[in-house]
Amino acid sequence: MDLLLDVSGLPPPEPLERTLDALGGLAPGDRLLVRLGRQPYPLYDLLRRMGYRWEVTGEDGDWRILVEPESEPESGPEPEHRSGSPARS
Amino acid sequence: MVDTKGLSLDQAPPIDLPLRFFLTAPWFVVAAGLILAVQGEAAMASRWTPAALAATHLLAIGFLGQVLCGALLQLLPVIAGTPMPGVGLIATASNLCLSAGSAFLAVGFLGGAPLWLGAGALVSGVGFLTLLSGLLPALRRARGGPATLVAFRLGSVSLALTVLLGLTLAAGLLGWLTLPRFTDWVTAHLSWGLLGWVGLLIVGVAYQVVPLFHVTPAYPGWMAAGLAPSLFLALAAATLALWAGQGALADLALTVAALGFGSFAAVTLILQSRRSRPRLDATLVHWRLALAAMAVAGVAWWLDAPSGLLGVLILIGVGVGLPSGMLLKIVPFLCWFHLQSRWAASDRRDLRVPHMHQLLPERLARWHPPAHALALVLLCAGTLEPALVQPGALVLCASALWLVGLMAGAAWRYRRVSQALG
Repeated sequence: MDLLLDVSGLPPPEPLERTLDALGGLAPGDRLLVRLGRQPYPLYDLLRRMGYRWEVTGEDGDWRILVEPESEPESGPEPEHRSGSPARS
Repeated sequence: MVDTKGLSLDQAPPIDLPLRFFLTAPWFVVAAGLILAVQGEAAMASRWTPAALAATHLLAIGFLGQVLCGALLQLLPVIAGTPMPGVGLIATASNLCLSAGSAFLAVGFLGGAPLWLGAGALVSGVGFLTLLSGLLPALRRARGGPATLVAFRLGSVSLALTVLLGLTLAAGLLGWLTLPRFTDWVTAHLSWGLLGWVGLLIVGVAYQVVPLFHVTPAYPGWMAAGLAPSLFLALAAATLALWAGQGALADLALTVAALGFGSFAAVTLILQSRRSRPRLDATLVHWRLALAAMAVAGVAWWLDAPSGLLGVLILIGVGVGLPSGMLLKIVPFLCWFHLQSRWAASDRRDLRVPHMHQLLPERLARWHPPAHALALVLLCAGTLEPALVQPGALVLCASALWLVGLMAGAAWRYRRVSQALG
């Protein structure tokens, strides 16, 4: 199941705080779809370090980021973009 | 494909380095406040009184210089996309030199001691030039945020000019140089320092932090592209006209600069009123107070108000108020971001990183802007009614101590969680 979290319009780092809180409570097999107005650049570094993978779609003003644990089996089509491995680049 | 590389702790300096500047800086506001409180009425008689000159340099170098250094050392490596080589050494040297330099200058002005003035100018100059040695290569490499970078580059040139003019003035005071029309040199030093270095840096930082932290639309393209170069050219024209003895032309150029800062204040207030989820916090109140002080300073200059009033509005209203507001946001943000990154890389999933508002609670921070505003109003009134200088200066000390307490609290909570993370 994809859980939707709309954090658009919130000042930093609330979108990140709420996203990380939501990830902490994510049930096995679920994915988190985060909606926000700006690219959350610091989030990607955190997700990489925590072992998540992500897929980004949208444009300025309306970004959607689908996050799931790296170890989860593929449940959908191949992500449009996958960035970062647990190792530092 | 969407590029999701970007902000990473790999580029940012260790948190101790910016925190060192941020935690040192408010003590110089306390020192300036104490001087004004002790000297009282005499301090504000004109901009040339020893107490006014000492307080001005404590605020401009000890507080503003340090806050801007800390912010630049943090921000530039991220914009440039690479760490700054030797950032530890640069930060340590500039922190020490700016602290010692501004203290020496204050002693020199208060005691009428040219040797202390010379030592202060030299040590402060070394501090700023050390900072520039790290900034300039990073500014050359950086590609992101062109409007901000143009403002930072022109601000850095303004800083170099301010330092050169300051060293020249010190040489004049020591009798090593003869400076005809000494006051014109002082005006140039003051203009490049406050309007050039501080003004352009505030504009450059605002292009980044106002849309980001207040979730507003971006600054209009014409302002982002044209404001910083226009302000720089206006300052250059004013300086040249002043030295050529063309006072009317210098006034015209400074009017252009005042209109530029006035339009920046107006656009920023309009942008902040168009937030999608409005919420008033201490930082936003500080922004509004500082922009109001900037606008009042412009009108006061136009009306030929006393220089003491202009100095209080620009140095304390904008120069202390705006950075204080930024610190209330930047310090807990840095603490949170460093903790979150360390937590993400650790295996301590049993621990929770405190949210930013737990690191520096808003219920405590919200008292800082009113305290600062009270100090500003009392000190402004003190230029007309000298009996108000002393209470205003004491309130300024109290608000600076409150700022230290808030930031030290965030740093202490950071250290506690950091130790738990191992």
